[in-house]
Amino acid sequence: MRWPSSDRIVFPVGLLATLLVLVVVFYYPVGRVLLAAIDPAGSPLAPIGDVLADPFYVGVAHHVFTNPASVPAGVLAWLADGAPLGAFEFGLFGFTAYQAALSALASVALGLPGAYVLARYDFWGRRTLTSLTIVPFVLPSILVAVGFQAMFGRTGLLNDLLAVVGLGPIEVLYTLPAIVIAHAFYNAPLVTRFVTGAWEGVDAREIESARAMGATPVRAFRDVVVPKLLPSLLSATLLAFVFSFMSFPIVLALGGLELQTVEVWLYAKVQSLELEAAAGLAVLESILSLGLMYLYLRYESGQIASRSGRLSRARRSLLAGWRTVSDPRRLAVLAYGVVAGVVFLGPVLSLLIESITGPDGALTMAYYEFLLARQASTAVGTIAPLTAIRNSLLFALGTLAVAVPMGVIVSLVATRGGRGSRLAEALLSAPLAVSGIVVGLGLLETLVFGVEVFGYRLTVTGWLAVVAAHAVAAYPFVTRNVTPALAGIDDRVVDAARSLGASRLRALLTVTVPLIAAPLVAGAAFAFAISIGEFDSTVLLAEGGASHTMPVALERYVGNRSIGPSLGPATAMGSVVLAVTAASFVVIDRVGGRYDG
Amino acid sequence: MKRRTFLRTAGVSVVGATALAGCTDAEQTDDGSSPTGAETDTTTETNTDTRTGTTTGTSTSERTLRVATYSSFTGEDTAGNWLKSAFESAHDGVTVEFVTPESGLNQYILRRQQGAPLDVDAYVGLNTSELVRADQELEESLFAVPDLERAGNVKDGLQTDPEGRTIPYDTGYIALVYDENEVENPATFDALTTDPYRGDLIAQNAQQSDPGRAFLLWTIAAKGPDGYLEYWRDLLDNDVKILSDWEPAYQAYQNEEAPMVVSYSTDQVYYHGEGVDMSRHQVGFINDQGYANPEMMGLFADADAPELGREFMDFVLSPEAQAEIAVRNVQFPAVAGVDPGEAFSKYAYEPDEPVTFTYDELAGNVDGWIEDWAREVSA
Amino acid sequence: MGESSIGGDTRGESTEGGVGLEDVSVTFGDVPALSDVTLSVAEGEFFTLVGPSGCGKTTTLRTVAGFETPTSGSVRIGGRDVAGLPPEQRDVGIVFQNYALFPHMTVEENVAYGLRYRSPPGDVGPDERVADLLELVDMADLTDRRPESLSGGQQQRAALARALAPGPDVLLLDEPLSALDARLREQLRVEVREIQRELGITTIYVTHDQAEALAISDRIAVMNDGRIEQIGTPEDVYRDPATRFVAEFVGENNVFDARVDGDGRTLTIGDDTIVSIDDETIELPQSLPERGELTVCVRPEDVHFGPGETALSATVEHVEFLGDAYRVHCAWNGRSIRARTQRAPEGENVTLGFDATDVTVVRSE
Repeated sequence: MRWPSSDRIVFPVGLLATLLVLVVVFYYPVGRVLLAAIDPAGSPLAPIGDVLADPFYVGVAHHVFTNPASVPAGVLAWLADGAPLGAFEFGLFGFTAYQAALSALASVALGLPGAYVLARYDFWGRRTLTSLTIVPFVLPSILVAVGFQAMFGRTGLLNDLLAVVGLGPIEVLYTLPAIVIAHAFYNAPLVTRFVTGAWEGVDAREIESARAMGATPVRAFRDVVVPKLLPSLLSATLLAFVFSFMSFPIVLALGGLELQTVEVWLYAKVQSLELEAAAGLAVLESILSLGLMYLYLRYESGQIASRSGRLSRARRSLLAGWRTVSDPRRLAVLAYGVVAGVVFLGPVLSLLIESITGPDGALTMAYYEFLLARQASTAVGTIAPLTAIRNSLLFALGTLAVAVPMGVIVSLVATRGGRGSRLAEALLSAPLAVSGIVVGLGLLETLVFGVEVFGYRLTVTGWLAVVAAHAVAAYPFVTRNVTPALAGIDDRVVDAARSLGASRLRALLTVTVPLIAAPLVAGAAFAFAISIGEFDSTVLLAEGGASHTMPVALERYVGNRSIGPSLGPATAMGSVVLAVTAASFVVIDRVGGRYDG
Repeated sequence: MKRRTFLRTAGVSVVGATALAGCTDAEQTDDGSSPTGAETDTTTETNTDTRTGTTTGTSTSERTLRVATYSSFTGEDTAGNWLKSAFESAHDGVTVEFVTPESGLNQYILRRQQGAPLDVDAYVGLNTSELVRADQELEESLFAVPDLERAGNVKDGLQTDPEGRTIPYDTGYIALVYDENEVENPATFDALTTDPYRGDLIAQNAQQSDPGRAFLLWTIAAKGPDGYLEYWRDLLDNDVKILSDWEPAYQAYQNEEAPMVVSYSTDQVYYHGEGVDMSRHQVGFINDQGYANPEMMGLFADADAPELGREFMDFVLSPEAQAEIAVRNVQFPAVAGVDPGEAFSKYAYEPDEPVTFTYDELAGNVDGWIEDWAREVSA
Repeated sequence: MGESSIGGDTRGESTEGGVGLEDVSVTFGDVPALSDVTLSVAEGEFFTLVGPSGCGKTTTLRTVAGFETPTSGSVRIGGRDVAGLPPEQRDVGIVFQNYALFPHMTVEENVAYGLRYRSPPGDVGPDERVADLLELVDMADLTDRRPESLSGGQQQRAALARALAPGPDVLLLDEPLSALDARLREQLRVEVREIQRELGITTIYVTHDQAEALAISDRIAVMNDGRIEQIGTPEDVYRDPATRFVAEFVGENNVFDARVDGDGRTLTIGDDTIVSIDDETIELPQSLPERGELTVCVRPEDVHFGPGETALSATVEHVEFLGDAYRVHCAWNGRSIRARTQRAPEGENVTLGFDATDVTVVRSE
């Protein structure tokens, strides 16, 4: 559909504002960093070529770039050798992709059953639990590391529990599984949240007609339910892969340097100011992520079916008295609950326990007293917890106010159809696919240092810049949630509203938005979570006390030695973060839920 | 560079069309009110009258020194805040402002490279590798020679910059912290690669972490640039764990993931006291050595207030300040003959023989050493 | 608005209060969807656009509603040029094939939606207006239901009430009955027509079902391939199709290529001379051109067994019993011809006949 002639102001201005924000706080800063790889002082593209030609980075694939002529002979020799799989090294990129693929699979394995339970069963606290699924998403990695150590460590809670039943001990820390589980801890909520909505949207009548036509329940599931879930499931899986690919601090905190990823090297290169080499790595990372994103979007656009006028299915009651323990399906759900409890609740609970446990193992309130002392302190450089909470919430609300309209506008562009709209959406999704380290460096080099325009050095910082940066990082989550739903809306419903006298904007607000309320609220919750958890651009762009958000406070408390070098104060602050974000998500879902029919 | 004055005036501008606030101060400045319109929590301990509201209307005798440092140097009960209030009380009308850029000294190297204003006078808390990097990246030195009166008092082994631009103000010594119930002090590097110590050591990533890098440099000092990679192969074969940074590493140590961790020789200063099991806080030097990791300060070549910066740096080297910094930063004084007090002296151990690489030894080498090491670990 | 009696071809008649399109063309990308469409709908008229799918009838409707922008030509509603006016400023009510009710609103909220932006006609308040319309479409007891819990017919009534609530100048109905079963469809089309008469509202109705178009309309426009083939009353279009397409599309028909010879005195289909003007008993409804190729058609109900003014030897291929008649498919000299008869054929070989007055000459293409 082309833009109609009315609303000449609102939509073009909204789109323009969206693009302007994106250019100022994302494309220009990031472009400047990446340009170092494309047009360095030496020969063009050399930093990228250096990476591709280095077996350390790309393993056996470097032959393709260093000596392509030798490749066929090499392949033949390998085939003649019986094609042994273990003969290859795939380098840093290979390992990074490998662990990311495992992490994405683990996220699906952990997240998908969660979506099933939340979409198909009813039980006390279901809505609240749905709201809380995003909480892991905001936890700073240092706290996840603390929680995981306390949960899965040699002396951790899990081994204590296993010892009670005569099992264990198991050692997962500092191995690949530890990283994979940690990535699943972060990303399974994406899978759960994305897929729950799609599962709720399955039309009961379609399943009934499939059954009526002779399909077994399994076949009806495969033929009717699976196609409905696949777009959102793949979308979440892709994001889990991309995020795990670019994961950085958690890898070394729980895995150790032997399990390092591309991002660890990117960080090291930036630290040692080898910016061309860093840009080379970043360009390849981004090409990989964006390429996957584009392929996915191509697929997604062919998958979306109309959802209007659906008849949703009733949820089953999870607990059905004694029948609960004899029903294999309910038993499986309860077993999943145990696993989810270990992976999600375990680290979070361990974190809470750590916050009230002293170095000697005794109960202590010292860490919360530390927070109170920060609150009372007037010393320069001290961050008061309440200030941090207030700033975080203000930034998050600001982010919602910007990211939600931005996300909806980009979704509208994406669902407009026409040539190149997939490519456009992939490019507009770039904030998901570009390394946070690169974004941080780009913001520093442009907005913070300033750009000379007509002899003036313009800098763009302050709280508005922070909100813009948070919104840019957050809006793709709105878009990813909203686009499939938006594409599923029957155009004629909107046309009907227009013919009844609603302008395009009013039709959007009174018809379209309520119809996409559930995914919109889910996207908003993610946007909120992104803002709450954001650290890098906050400390770069905020000025004075405004930069004191909860993650910044937490980071400062990590470095604070006033009650010894202890992560205790950080765990106490982490518990505060948990409480504040959990409450926020419940509120967002409740408020948002009112608009959801 | 004369350009700074010009840029500074031009810098306070706003991108009008988007109504984004424009300002040159990107770092957290711990001063002024929160732009979100509410009261800020960062009021000062002293001179609050000069720091509220705008600075217009203050008398001409008032001067401001802007000091860049790392974030944990400032805050309640820190060395930074003590220095600030002591210096401000001793100098009428002087305000010390701390700026804590997240990227540390790199922020100023990049600013200089891009012709952006520095907006700070002095830097507190850099190490030799960072100075090497700054000189490698920039044609003109980032720092000026401050010509301090007390520069001569700094202990000999700590002064690593041959040009005397950056001055050590304290130092830590890298050592092993171990649980004597589980292991004995290995005492030699070679012992760490033997079977009794298999899986016993937690170290940190030299690419990211100060103690991690210092420990790596220590092994290079001990095994030589040609031998250290082989040594690390042996260490890796012996299941050394290399975590991102000091905090997760020490946390893992406290959770009994391994009985030894690369840390500081001042460990017990934190952990003495009633009910603390000191057997888990034993400090082990290797070959009776400890790798010195001096923290240095420097005066930026294009400082706005060089004279004030010089006075501040001299003040930092005063015996009184040195003792306070030692206690509050839990690091050894850089100046000889300073007594940080009994509690500190009793629990902080100094190695018989401090080792550290000088500026000249690191220059041109350190990045390559670390990269080769990281590739070795990853392979 | 009063009821108007419209008959005959009213092309070019004043569209004051009605709808007029003049030389309207619409293209999608490079593909032309409408080519030079001109039509006028009088105030209070029930006007139907009929044609096969893809013929441009829905595009015409959407152009009137303002959802498509013409590349050329003008659209007038109620006497004013609506070029550039967005849909919300055109005062049209539209009912879609799939009803397009707002799934998140009740029936009542759906009907009341348009009254948020437009005041109801007359002196009634919005609540009363909604109640009146729900009464009109016989939905008064389903006001609080959500669309998903309504039957197709109920949804259609609700959609009609919603479109009518703000008192639009024009009612646009886009295949509103096609998703319903045959019996309900016939019942509802009567209701729709009655409501339209009662309100006297100018109505444009789109359907692919020619029988429906003939049954319901004051006038119809037959469309094909983005163009209008013929406009006229149902009777005119049925009896006197202007083009071969109309002849084949509207009603059942036997269409033949024919030839006029002998100074316009003989009409020949294939080798059989059908009409000879020399025979005095024969009277043709239209005058023939003096000679040349043309198209003629004969309705199956005008074809009977046994010789009439013509006698054709045909072979029966297939017989359908329709309840009130038989449809007999025959082959005649390599052509197929259908007859609608009261009795079944006896034997395979039959003689078919029709009168020359039942032969209609189609305007040459």
